[in-house]
Amino acid sequence: MPPMPPMGPQKGQGGPGSRAANRVNGEKAKDAKQTLKKLIAYIGRNKYLFFSLLGVMLIITLLNLAVPSIQQVAIDYITIDDEKLSVDFDNLIKTLVVLGVVYILLSVFTYLQGIFSARLSQYTVKTMRHDMFEKLVRLPIKYFDTHNHGDLMSRMSNDVENISTTISQSIGSLISGVLTVVGSFLIMLFYSPLLTLISLSTIFLTIFVSGLMTKFMRKYFVKQQVILGEIDGQVEETVTGYRTVAAYSKEKDSIEKFNQMSDELRHCGIMAQICGGAMGPLMNCISNFGFVLIAAFGGWMTIKGSITIGTIQAFILYSKQFSRPINEIANQYANIQTAIAGAERIFEVMDSEPEKDNGTADFHLENVKGDISFRNVDFGYIDGELVLKGLNLDVKNGQKIAIVGATGSGKTTIVNLLTRFYDINGGEITVDGVNLYDIPKDELRKSIAIVLQDTVLFLGTVEDNIKYGREDAELDEVKRAAAHANADEFIERLPQGYSTILTEGGSNLSQGQRQLLSIARAVLADPKILILDEATSSVDTRTEMHIQSAMVSLMKNRTSLIIAHRLSTIRDADKIVVIDNGVVAEQGSHEELIAKKGCYYNLYQTQFAGHKT
Amino acid sequence: MKLAKYIKPYLIFTILTPLSMVGEVMVDLWQPKLMSQIVDDGVLGNNMDLIISTGIKMMLLVILGGTCGVLATTFGSNASQGFARDLRCDVYKKVMSLSFEQTDKFTTGSLVTRLTTNITALQQLVEFGLKGFVRDILLFVGGIVMMLSLNIRFGVILVIALPIEILLVVLIMKKVNPLYTIVAQRLDKVNSVTQENVSGSRVVKAYVKEDFEANRFNNANVDLMESNLRVQTLLAIIQPLLMIVMNVSVIAVIWIGGLQVEAKEMQVGQVMAAITYLTQVLNGIMMISMMFQTVSRASASAKRIIEVMDTEPVVNDGKSDFNCTEKGTVSLRNVSFTYKGSGGRPVLNEISLDIKSGENIAILGATGSGKSSLINLIPRFYDPNSGEVYVDGVNVKEYKLEDLRSRIGIVLQKSELFSGSAADNIRWGKKDASDEEVVSASEIAQADEFVSSMPDGYNSIIAEKGASLSGGQKQRLSVARAVIKNPEIIIFDDSTSALDLGTEARLRQGLRENLKGATVITIAQRIASVKDCDRIAVLDHGRLVDCDTHENLLKNSEVYRDIYSSQMKASGGDE
Repeated sequence: MPPMPPMGPQKGQGGPGSRAANRVNGEKAKDAKQTLKKLIAYIGRNKYLFFSLLGVMLIITLLNLAVPSIQQVAIDYITIDDEKLSVDFDNLIKTLVVLGVVYILLSVFTYLQGIFSARLSQYTVKTMRHDMFEKLVRLPIKYFDTHNHGDLMSRMSNDVENISTTISQSIGSLISGVLTVVGSFLIMLFYSPLLTLISLSTIFLTIFVSGLMTKFMRKYFVKQQVILGEIDGQVEETVTGYRTVAAYSKEKDSIEKFNQMSDELRHCGIMAQICGGAMGPLMNCISNFGFVLIAAFGGWMTIKGSITIGTIQAFILYSKQFSRPINEIANQYANIQTAIAGAERIFEVMDSEPEKDNGTADFHLENVKGDISFRNVDFGYIDGELVLKGLNLDVKNGQKIAIVGATGSGKTTIVNLLTRFYDINGGEITVDGVNLYDIPKDELRKSIAIVLQDTVLFLGTVEDNIKYGREDAELDEVKRAAAHANADEFIERLPQGYSTILTEGGSNLSQGQRQLLSIARAVLADPKILILDEATSSVDTRTEMHIQSAMVSLMKNRTSLIIAHRLSTIRDADKIVVIDNGVVAEQGSHEELIAKKGCYYNLYQTQFAGHKT
Repeated sequence: MKLAKYIKPYLIFTILTPLSMVGEVMVDLWQPKLMSQIVDDGVLGNNMDLIISTGIKMMLLVILGGTCGVLATTFGSNASQGFARDLRCDVYKKVMSLSFEQTDKFTTGSLVTRLTTNITALQQLVEFGLKGFVRDILLFVGGIVMMLSLNIRFGVILVIALPIEILLVVLIMKKVNPLYTIVAQRLDKVNSVTQENVSGSRVVKAYVKEDFEANRFNNANVDLMESNLRVQTLLAIIQPLLMIVMNVSVIAVIWIGGLQVEAKEMQVGQVMAAITYLTQVLNGIMMISMMFQTVSRASASAKRIIEVMDTEPVVNDGKSDFNCTEKGTVSLRNVSFTYKGSGGRPVLNEISLDIKSGENIAILGATGSGKSSLINLIPRFYDPNSGEVYVDGVNVKEYKLEDLRSRIGIVLQKSELFSGSAADNIRWGKKDASDEEVVSASEIAQADEFVSSMPDGYNSIIAEKGASLSGGQKQRLSVARAVIKNPEIIIFDDSTSALDLGTEARLRQGLRENLKGATVITIAQRIASVKDCDRIAVLDHGRLVDCDTHENLLKNSEVYRDIYSSQMKASGGDE
């Protein structure tokens, strides 16, 4: 069974259902080191910005470290004790001026930091999005047929977003955190090695406790994400398939199922929140414990006269500065993990093999005649399971060929191979005698127009959608193409005619109308080879007849391949090819095949059983 | 606000949360005072005992505060999660009661967002509101009180600094908020280009539009980046500006403190405490401004949810006080129907049609002639604008929807499958169906062969709405699902279009043999599929032009003859 082409546009931006997978996988990356390296390389593309940011952060950290010291000096100036009987206003003013200058500098650099990190993250993420999309449009069809579309969307949106947040927030915190820790540690050491030792003990306590809590929390967070994903999935499924839900009166069942999930989410959510919420108070306890310890020891030391009040004040501030980033780094850890996991998913797409295009033959749109030949072609979507087995097929230029056969017999596969959506396993395909793989892919595809069963329309006007086949077409030409495809009548009746904007993949049109638009698109593209793959299945037979009469003139001097179920569609083909079990079972004109009383005759009988025309 | 009632069941938690919060904040506010005591009286007064006793007092207080904090979180999350659960369930229930006309209006994607992202935003608002907002306001007000209690002169600083800070925050927020809408729009654009390319990859490649699409994406991408940068650049200025105000105030506190110390009205420890309080107060403003941002974003979410909640289902259960006199009949009386927003052009125009019990009737007509719309009226997927629809002799509006729909089996044009196994999907039609029933239904639908050949047979999981199945396979599963229901009336809405001729013929044969007595309504394109039907209704531009047997129609109906000849003669080219 060939993998089916994607069935219709996936509703809901980003396919909420599959976001679940993202969240769950979002926990841990497989090869974090490698991914991190690549991610850093991306950030490194804005080297100057990054180093500017680094420089600014360094200055901010230094300024921040200077503040408590200056404050301490100021406090010392206003301290009155037995030796110093009055406030030293002269020196106080000088100190306050210095403090003011430091503060202003701090503000300026903080602003710069904000700007730099915003730019760094936006530039980096823009480049990543750009590169990923460039890759995306160049991936082989096989990739789209075998990968979940919602998941791909999620990589493009959620994962990229995660990285953006992490770059703008975590990198800053991380740098300033490390700098602050080192800096305050040194200063604390300078003020009093003994007190430093004491605050270190509480730091270790902080790290230990937060590590323990994070581990505990993670369990609930993961579970919460899993359930959230399930809820997303349930909603998307039942809302998208609401007609069926209603037709089978399944509303109650699905409400019940939804309530269960919702309840489960509540339980997990509460647990996760409590764990998360307890972190703050716990850390607060520990840091206050540290304060009391420092005050007690500090007090004892001042009594002994080995340090001043200002020193204690400064020391307390530094010890706070010391423990704060440790908390923050612990918090960022989870973010960074998620970002790396996201980056890994993005790089996975970027590292996928793109479509091969080694064609160098001198093959140009204008000179294409349209002779097609399949020689002993073997092909399977899955290794070891051949869909086509040594298929032979010859199409002369200008011929109109109909391909018929049972569901799954390989009709669409022939199209997939000719357009190089998939590559053959064995044998040879030639166009105008040139091996398919020697033809530059773009030239090949430009000479073929294809109308699929599943119509694809893009956001934009009706005109834009028809012009997709030829951007530079005039409105007149568009109208003529629409008329050829018999689409002009319904387009004229749309509120804004050709300027009507199509919503959500053309959901404001009926399936049949969408097919007519796709046909008009192919007509306008004016190719040498035309492929209609069940292109008129949702169009009623009368409309189809009209289209066909237009197509007859269109198909003149063109090679046409038509896949259809309706025999009425294919009866007047120059040659009918019956595919069975991956080989050509029969071929010939309608009359010849009927006379043969073989497969085709049987098919014909099943449709027209009882009809004497 | 309308959503307030959802918090009611959790009123106790809602009250307890801020109460415990008060405990935590009190401790937070008390702390600097105790610290200043330790410094002023203990360290400066050379009183070691005081340091230790106050230290112990402080530790106990901190533990008490921490406990209050954990309690506040516990209560708060109980309230917010409960609120979210109830709201979510209610909104979902509401969605499940809407008619298609209404869900069409909302679009699938937006309903999903409303049920997930928007509700999560509200849940966060409740949680932050109960914890954060209360905490910030308490810290803010408490900080002011404590600072003034240290020395009334510090009030001057607050009177100057506070309005400046508030003004700054309000001004910047006013500029930033509208930008968020732009960012959201541009993000939408980026997402939709990606979406189109992922699902339309074949067409993109077939028309060699890779560069065109990459270019289209690039434009959207750059637009998004620019608007993001605009927002972030604006936001980046808030913090430094507030810092300046705050730090100038700190300098003022030290200066005034110095004067007070000189005048012997204050001690150094108190100045230090004042700096702590000041920082608290001014930080509070920043927090409160962030709260307002959360509120403004959440109110957008609330609006979207209320919009759903306020939508009155137009298709409601009937009173259901009747006795059916007939079985398997459908009558349409002067039915007209117009889709909302289609510009008032009626899709169905004054249609009257009686379908007898056990009749096998087909509906035929051109693309857009109103075939699907017509059958949508029977299970009340839509209600007609005028005219009545009767099922089993009773107006469909009298039925309970579930009762009405249990009489009807419908196979839609687009097969919709659900996650679960193949058997689960078939059992949608009959919850308690035995394995044998499932297999026999799927045999009738010509699905048994391919289902059995799947790795786990009937237990194979249907992933991604059947993305792994071909169109024909999905249609056959949908048919099996309807067949197992064994309904009085079964409707096929062009639901075998993806089947090849042989398979379709076998399927029709199976249906004929197994659905004896059921009324069958078939929408089809091919006359061959329906010519054996008892009657064929011919629709043309929303009007019922003819309804008769194949033979009579051939004799009397011009439209039918037209369709017939288009299918039976060699196609168009010969004309």
